[in-house]
Amino acid sequence: MAIEIAVPKLGLTMEEAVLVAWKAAPGARVRKDDIVLVLETDKVTFEMPSPGEGLLHPLVPPGSRIAVGQVVGYLAADAAELARLAAEHPAAAAAAEPTAAGRPAAAAEAPPAAPGPAPGRVKASPAARAIARAHGIELAGVAGSGPGGRIVRADVLAALERPRPAPAAPFAAASPLTVLEDIPITGVRRAIFRNMQASLATQAQITLHTEASAEALLRLRRRRKEAGAPVSYNAVFVQAIARALRRHPRINASVEGDRIRVWREIHVGVAMDFGGGLFVPKVRHAEAKTLTEIEDELRRLAEAGRAGRLTLDEMSLGTFTLTNLGAWGVDRFTPIVNPPESAILGVGRIEEKAVAAGGEVRVEPRVALSLTFDHRIIDGAAGAAFLQTVSRFVEEPALML
Amino acid sequence: MSDRLLTASAALAEALIEEMTRDERIFILGEDLTAHAGIFGQFKGIPEKFPGRILDTPISETCIAGCGVGAALTGMRPIVDFHFSDFVTCGMDELCNQAAKIRYMFGGQVKLPLVVWCPDGAGLRAAAQHSQSLEAWFVHTPGLKVVVPSEAADVKGLMKASIRDDNPVMFFQHKRLFRREGPVPEDPDFVIPLGKAAVKREGRDVSLFTYGSGYFLCQEAAAELAREGIEAEIVDLRTLKPLDFETVAASLRKTYRAVIVHEACLTGGFGAELAARIQAELFDFLDAPVLRVAAKDVPIPFSPPLEDFVLPRAADVVAAARSVCNR
Repeated sequence: MAIEIAVPKLGLTMEEAVLVAWKAAPGARVRKDDIVLVLETDKVTFEMPSPGEGLLHPLVPPGSRIAVGQVVGYLAADAAELARLAAEHPAAAAAAEPTAAGRPAAAAEAPPAAPGPAPGRVKASPAARAIARAHGIELAGVAGSGPGGRIVRADVLAALERPRPAPAAPFAAASPLTVLEDIPITGVRRAIFRNMQASLATQAQITLHTEASAEALLRLRRRRKEAGAPVSYNAVFVQAIARALRRHPRINASVEGDRIRVWREIHVGVAMDFGGGLFVPKVRHAEAKTLTEIEDELRRLAEAGRAGRLTLDEMSLGTFTLTNLGAWGVDRFTPIVNPPESAILGVGRIEEKAVAAGGEVRVEPRVALSLTFDHRIIDGAAGAAFLQTVSRFVEEPALML
Repeated sequence: MSDRLLTASAALAEALIEEMTRDERIFILGEDLTAHAGIFGQFKGIPEKFPGRILDTPISETCIAGCGVGAALTGMRPIVDFHFSDFVTCGMDELCNQAAKIRYMFGGQVKLPLVVWCPDGAGLRAAAQHSQSLEAWFVHTPGLKVVVPSEAADVKGLMKASIRDDNPVMFFQHKRLFRREGPVPEDPDFVIPLGKAAVKREGRDVSLFTYGSGYFLCQEAAAELAREGIEAEIVDLRTLKPLDFETVAASLRKTYRAVIVHEACLTGGFGAELAARIQAELFDFLDAPVLRVAAKDVPIPFSPPLEDFVLPRAADVVAAARSVCNR
């Protein structure tokens, strides 16, 4: 009776893995507990011991993405059974060549994931692996510039920045549509992809809109500029958010299991796009920073972002996010929370509008503020009160002092 | 208070004079100390200033080290001069079996405030028995502290801390650096605590972890590397035991690349220990293998060209840094 080789569940959240390499050739005898294949999840690389003894009949080629529990090969008791298995379950064309034996096998049927995919052990520095793991990048798809083709940190950072050539789309042949561009969902895009999906899949999000007078904001910017210490709109918004969070601490929270964790630290992320995808570096302890300090920090982060030097540390552990589409002429929008955070503020463009007040109509610059939050843990009134505080701070920055 | 330029020798003498003035239990023991103020003139002024507190001994390192241990046990704070660090072999039982262990074996009932001053290092054409760097032997002996200063200010600040410490301290000072000048604070309270490394040059591309004479190789190498666009960070470890691993870690987290530089020979040297800790504790911050630059594994040759060949050079540091930076 043939023994199935199935993919084990290596972690609580593991659903799929990449079969990186077979460690024995098709037909070769494998003993129980010999390493038979190598799996890579987004967290670990796992050398899988053989569940039994027999002649190996692999089903999937190295480089394949496989689900937990999927049977990827068999161990035949003898040559006759091997032949029968081969007839019943034809192996994918190149489910072959143990990579330990030398040159990595070309996975002919496997989609060519990227330039020079190297099935088998991927040579990468520990730092490169750590970053790739954190961003959910498949190292097999990254070209290595280090000695002997080793993937180094710079390669992963570069891969995070640029879209890579795509695998042939499986449906292309059958579809009447022609593929203009085929973009693999990897790297930064994959991280965004997962995060945005997780956001709407797990949270009950609601958006409240308000509009604030931007007169004081414009005045503040003008005066700081005249004084030779210009500040960006975002710096003021970050400060307004941070100060408002201090008054409404429960907005600064995350859901962990069946607990609501209210955070002491206020780390405000600011969504930035440098052309290669969305990055959200954090202004740490924003509540304790002066406007100038926030401005300096934002400048530093933006420069680091443009140079592709933002570190994982600078992008993780936020407690609130600011996203500003004013520069693109957007009036207002409904941002999506950046989990595990529970709220995000969207800022629209500043536009002059006619405002009726005290029986008169006058023209005033206005800015739309939109707060999206997780309604599971933040009630409407609490969210509204927070938004009102932010709005007041924007209308009268002196109140923040 | 301002800094003056002092030689490493003068910085040492100043530290000793200040401390001996402060605490009369401190005295110096060794060979040829009073007539020549030490064979390198490193104790200049002390025989005149502190007669009876700088003592000549017979030529027996066993005796010198033994006296030091005994005096420290009975309440004095001796400094023993080993003449050449190479001669520690004759005092090994006293240092490693006695000094290092007594406080532990007596359950902390006694203290052992002993400084063992060891002029070490090569480059003086002094041949194999007078040119070694032996710090790793003592790092490998629990119970001893190990200090290896580079610049004059470090010599002064670390010597004062060593004298004030209640444990045996091996103090290795490079012979070739005695005459090298450096700015030294005038403040009599200037003390560099043991176990504190110093980032002496900031850089983002590669960390050079070094101590003693290696520091000056790194300085030279960093200047050369800067011309090539590689910004090296120099971390002068200063104390090997206790080791300031926090500073090492902070630097590596910034640069992701490490080169360890010391004059002692490669195999079993302190670089091996540091590399082992880096890979174990900072694995995810390594973008390249940790490289070591050290002397070749041979007795130091008497022949000048051969001695130069055996010792590490700045060019070796440059090459190692380039290699880890993938250039």
